[in-house]
Amino acid sequence: MNALEITQLKYRYRDGTEALRGISFRVLPGECVALLGPNGSGKSTLLLHLNGLLPEKKSEAGAVKIFGEAVSSANLELVRRQVGLVFQDPDDQLFCPTVAEDVAFGPQQLGLSETETVARVKHCLAQVGLSGFEGRSTQHLSHGEKRRACLAGVLACDPRILVLDEPTSDLDPRGRREFKAMLRRLPATKIIATHDLELAVELCARTIVLDHGEIIADGRTGELLSDEKLMLAHGLERPHILHHLHPH
Amino acid sequence: MGAHHFHAHDHRPGWLHRGPAGLKLGVAVGLILFVVLLPRTRTGGLLAVTILLLGVVVAGRISGRFLVRRLLVLEPFVLGVTVLALLQPGGLLVFGALLWKTNLCLFTTVLLSVTTPFTDLLRVLSKLPVPWIFVTTLTLMHRYLFVLADESERMRRARASRTLVRGRRFEWKLLSTVLGQLFVRASERAERIYRAMCARGWK
Repeated sequence: MNALEITQLKYRYRDGTEALRGISFRVLPGECVALLGPNGSGKSTLLLHLNGLLPEKKSEAGAVKIFGEAVSSANLELVRRQVGLVFQDPDDQLFCPTVAEDVAFGPQQLGLSETETVARVKHCLAQVGLSGFEGRSTQHLSHGEKRRACLAGVLACDPRILVLDEPTSDLDPRGRREFKAMLRRLPATKIIATHDLELAVELCARTIVLDHGEIIADGRTGELLSDEKLMLAHGLERPHILHHLHPH
Repeated sequence: MGAHHFHAHDHRPGWLHRGPAGLKLGVAVGLILFVVLLPRTRTGGLLAVTILLLGVVVAGRISGRFLVRRLLVLEPFVLGVTVLALLQPGGLLVFGALLWKTNLCLFTTVLLSVTTPFTDLLRVLSKLPVPWIFVTTLTLMHRYLFVLADESERMRRARASRTLVRGRRFEWKLLSTVLGQLFVRASERAERIYRAMCARGWK
């Protein structure tokens, strides 16, 4: 069974902007897929559909299937249990006063007991390297720590699919390296929208290139990103790391 | 005004800071109710509360100057309301009593806020039978006040860096633009926060 199946997904914002124009693709369980494309190509809009946050009215139900189940207003709870979404701006996601409270938010919504919630918070903070940060205020964390806390908050819901929107933007090189290592250790199916092409090469075997709400290319990351013509035509570039991997 | 403005706590924690937040909140609410319900002619009661509060400040080794500075920020609002009492016959006495009572209530609130972290107060409120929507609203307000303050500070700096010609009228016009922009950004952020909450199962 596919972890994710999207068939002819279209979406138009209220101001008339056509964000997605008939997107179709499938992701197998355990796959790690990079979603690349220039700003405004529809990456973030697509990610919001995977969690059932868009469309507002689920009239186009059936376009997105999570583990065979079509996303509809009736099964949103199930969908959100299965798909964990890490947002681009950590300040949007960390809405509780302390790190522990924020990580506990998901488990509490899932109806876990106090003891189970505390254990899960501890486990997830350890997973992202934030043990001992339980009582820290979310607004006084560094950007890298905020990113980790966001990931812990999503991991606490134990999702089978992890969807990340620009996970390494605004991180310093060490933060980026550590965050990538952390992602690599996670066994869940991963869909990562990013401008960090090195991340795509290092973590994702498969890449989908999106532009103007359409899929331009879908294939092996190394092959697609080596295609300089394709990259330049869609606001991207051949990553430096490929020059080292396949020097001409 | 940056986010640090809101963090203005008295950084010399004493016994008052260490006291249980629930007890402090209870005493503060009790005192405020007592002052509000006390007839304005009973100046003895008001004097007793004043002495009690000053005693707490001295015994708790809290910086008086710091408390007064915070109280002064609120004073224009107090005067804006109490000055209306001057319009009635014998208004001066009413004005005086009203000013005294309002300042006592505000002083109690300021004292509570500088000796008790807001997150502790929220925790107490969430355990009491206070409507959850009220506690959630306060929690989110406390969390995002800092983010918005930082955002307005960044916008102010960006504006200042490109303001070459200065003039009061021009400044006011710019301020209104920035405020409008901040409002739009705040509502967009609210939408994104709501989505982030829904993504983690908010019902």
